[in-house]
Amino acid sequence: MAGILYLMAFVLQKESQKADEYLREIKEQSLLSEAVRQCVEAAGHEHEPETQKTLLRRHFTYRRNDNTHWFTPSLSQLLSLNFPPEQFVSMCRDLRVLNAVRDYTVGIPLTHTQFKQMTVQVLIDRLVYRKLYPLAIEVCRYLKTPEYQGVSRVLKHWACYKVQQKEESDEVIAKAVSVKLADAAGISYSEIATKAYESGRTELAIKLLEFEPRSGEQVPLLLKMKKSPLALSKAIESGDTDLVYTVVMYLKNELNRGDFFMMLRNQPVALSLYKQFCKHQEQDTLKDLFNQDDDHEELGNFYVKASYKDQRLEARVALLQSAVDEYYKAKNDFSAKTTEDEMRLLRFQRKLEEEKGEQLVGFSLHDTMTTLLSVGLHKHAEQLYKDFRVPDKRFWWLKLKALAEKEDWEELEKFGKTKKSPIGYLPFVEVCIKHHNKYEAKKYVSKVTPEQKVKAHLAVGDMEGAAEAAIERRNESEISTVLSRCSATTDHLLMERLNRAKATAVKK
Amino acid sequence: MASHLFCGRVNLNILREAARKDLREFLDKCSGSKAIVWDEYLTGPFGLIAQYSLLKEHEVEKMFTLKGGRIPSAAVKNIVFFVRPRLELMDIIAENVASEDKLHPRDFHILFVPRRSLLCEQRLKEKGVLNSFTNIDEYILDLIPYDGDLLSMESESSFRECYLESDQTSLYHAAKGLMTLQALYGTIPQIFGKGECARHVANMMLRMKREFAGSHTQILPVFDTLLLLDRNVDLLTPLATQLTYEGLIDEIFSITNGYVKLPPEKFAQKKQGEGGKDLPTEPKKLQLNSAEELYAEIRDKNFNAVGAALSKKAKVISAAFEERHNAKTVGEIKQFVSQLPHMQAARSSLANHTSIAELIKDITTSEDFFDSLTVEQEFMTGVDTDKVSTYIEDCVAQKDPLIKILRLVCMQSVCNNGLKQKVLDFYKREILQTYGYKHILTLKNLEKVGLLKPQSTMRNNYPTIRKTLKLWMEDTNEQNPNDISYVYSGYAPLSVRLTQVLARPGWRSIEEVLKMLPGPHFEERQQVPTGLHKKRNKPVILVKSA
Repeated sequence: MAGILYLMAFVLQKESQKADEYLREIKEQSLLSEAVRQCVEAAGHEHEPETQKTLLRRHFTYRRNDNTHWFTPSLSQLLSLNFPPEQFVSMCRDLRVLNAVRDYTVGIPLTHTQFKQMTVQVLIDRLVYRKLYPLAIEVCRYLKTPEYQGVSRVLKHWACYKVQQKEESDEVIAKAVSVKLADAAGISYSEIATKAYESGRTELAIKLLEFEPRSGEQVPLLLKMKKSPLALSKAIESGDTDLVYTVVMYLKNELNRGDFFMMLRNQPVALSLYKQFCKHQEQDTLKDLFNQDDDHEELGNFYVKASYKDQRLEARVALLQSAVDEYYKAKNDFSAKTTEDEMRLLRFQRKLEEEKGEQLVGFSLHDTMTTLLSVGLHKHAEQLYKDFRVPDKRFWWLKLKALAEKEDWEELEKFGKTKKSPIGYLPFVEVCIKHHNKYEAKKYVSKVTPEQKVKAHLAVGDMEGAAEAAIERRNESEISTVLSRCSATTDHLLMERLNRAKATAVKK
Repeated sequence: MASHLFCGRVNLNILREAARKDLREFLDKCSGSKAIVWDEYLTGPFGLIAQYSLLKEHEVEKMFTLKGGRIPSAAVKNIVFFVRPRLELMDIIAENVASEDKLHPRDFHILFVPRRSLLCEQRLKEKGVLNSFTNIDEYILDLIPYDGDLLSMESESSFRECYLESDQTSLYHAAKGLMTLQALYGTIPQIFGKGECARHVANMMLRMKREFAGSHTQILPVFDTLLLLDRNVDLLTPLATQLTYEGLIDEIFSITNGYVKLPPEKFAQKKQGEGGKDLPTEPKKLQLNSAEELYAEIRDKNFNAVGAALSKKAKVISAAFEERHNAKTVGEIKQFVSQLPHMQAARSSLANHTSIAELIKDITTSEDFFDSLTVEQEFMTGVDTDKVSTYIEDCVAQKDPLIKILRLVCMQSVCNNGLKQKVLDFYKREILQTYGYKHILTLKNLEKVGLLKPQSTMRNNYPTIRKTLKLWMEDTNEQNPNDISYVYSGYAPLSVRLTQVLARPGWRSIEEVLKMLPGPHFEERQQVPTGLHKKRNKPVILVKSA
């Protein structure tokens, strides 16, 4: 059938009316689409461009005859004949590529079948091997090969070849490569750089690596080239801490300790990561690092931490002494003084432990005093209070709570009378109530300041007293508070009084 | 199952599904029955992605917690370690592998979350077990869909790592996570940021974008703007006591990975005739997210408005149940019955939240809570921030929980742009004497991260920041709020204000204040493939705090 169509096209070309007869013949046998397909395929097997054109030109012949009212299937009619135009389009493309590579300057005489067999990828590879980079790129663009597998790949090969050209200077090559590859997606500069390095051009390799956007990719090669400082800064730049660690660990094995520390010193990010590593893995190295930097503050902290890991008191105190020394060197008087206090406290606790058999070592000053009070060692508690200059307020609170806890009401009463309470007497009332001792609580109500009277009376449940105090103070909000606590059934009279007082208070 | 992820402006379920797909693929790679050995820290975050049922479908038969010694016996073909890339965990794994029964060897696999680590693999190699693993893989879990409008890295120590230990690993994960997000939801055209860490994340993102050049996504951008904020730009907000319903649940019971554990007494099933016997002793575990209709409604309300909302809901529900008396025809009855399950769920949800609200109310109505809140609000409004606070002094004297003291002292320091040396030393001494000398390191750490600091010669600029950004609002409406300050009954979170100003009229109007806050502020634009510029009126802003 295709034969007839071919003949027809051929005749049509010659403007012969015979074509119509041929076409009708095919049409009658409803074989047009098959004939067209065969024509397209035949074109593929044809090497001579002119013949290819003839075979593919049917469409145009139909067009030309439109105005003659002959039987002229249009393209859309061809489509309705189930003839896929894609085949036609892709054949045109394939042929164009094939014709290009068949050119004598290229000299790859491929048949269409061979081409289909070996795929575009391989054809591009062959062109690349022949260093026909421009043609390879043209082919990729023409066939719309995805950038990654197409243009970018060719450019990479080109660059790899380029970097081996000995006659050109590093600058020229690097520039040329960067200009050509600028817009290409997914270029692995590190691969190109590796090539340059392998052909002995380390400087060029470093220049090329500058273009690599993936810092992660730069690092291994830089390490291989012994460019460790650069590798380290690239790793840091990537933000990938794991990569930084990898370089740091590599350097740790490669360099002597002094050089290694020096290098870290210039890279704060790496240094702090390494410190983290040491904190978990190599405590002693951590100390060396602080020493190197004369970081007395951190050294002090280091000793403090170490003191908690030691069970023996002597060792602990010795470590704390080292901390004190460091803190003084760091001009941190506060830390030094408080650390000295702690040493003093530890010694005191140890002494009392031995004398009285109370477990105290390691307690805070507050807890030590509380414990002492609870076992009745008031003198010793007082001594700590004075020695460590504990603020009065805090000591009063502490003693109040400790005695109430112990339910030593007698001692509490004595304590309350030693001098004027720096925390007032409302806490006395409240703490007693908390320990369910209303009787004791009431003893302190009268001592409470006028401002807190209402609260104190309410705390011990004395509604009358609270009302009295509130009315006396003519304080509206206090009156309201008392009112809200009154019960309508039992405190009826009281509420009336309060309401009256409230009215006058508001008036004022 | 993950209905809470659909309710926001952006369908976050896409992200969850992508994560689930990766998980399934990995599990199928280790063919045959398997046991998972968990780095305990990971179970919570994983719970937000997949339940046990998904694992079971992929032949996970046993689960263990990672610990030293030998892995408990289990008749499975594979042992899969789910771990974070940490050296100390590698040592445990090596121990596990080394003590494996040689007669019945099982296949070992490691899944690193969120990223493989050369350092860890090196450690396994040193321990001589690296070759024992059939698969070593990574499971990228950076931004986890937490609720309909919230992604979280569930990385509680990142502030500590970034500011105290200068370890910015979590920022790298954040940048990676944002890249994943852009791969699924399109390139985010605008990036704004404030702070050193934010700058670092943005730089990494732009760099990664270049790395992936050529493979850009052809997805219509869902997010218009990304705002990156350093935590240290706004240290005040996390110090203040949260006052929304959800905030108070977190303050009092603490919410972890979307779950809260509550005291069981209040939730005992009351059966008639049994009295108060058999009280459950295990804490009640509740999942809290927007899938629960009632919770979605009240979670962000100021707690003072929750009571009213609950009683309103109670009326609606009982009215709905009363409907049954009106149901006369068979059709009506049928319709009523069909609604029953929904109504019953609503009723039990109401019962739960009423119980929780009662527990919270016991605390919020206490004098202690009130006093402490008063002091906080005084600090935030700038009252007496330069002197020793008698309230804090009294709290220390009574040895209240240390965390309460530290929060208050830090807050005072932040609101005063540092404390006078004398005041600071006084607090420090009080704390050391009361809570123990060991906290000298705690205090030093707080100073290192800037939560606590001595006053420098610089002027206290907090009042200016407060006024310019309207951080304090006098007439806050807690019931029907029209300003974000309702969440702290007066204080409007600084980070929220920064976001609001950015949205309108733009940061240019607050240049002065931005300069007072730490770190650089910046703006970056990312090119969106042509044809993908979206036409939408409401901008979607993704806010990420480092």
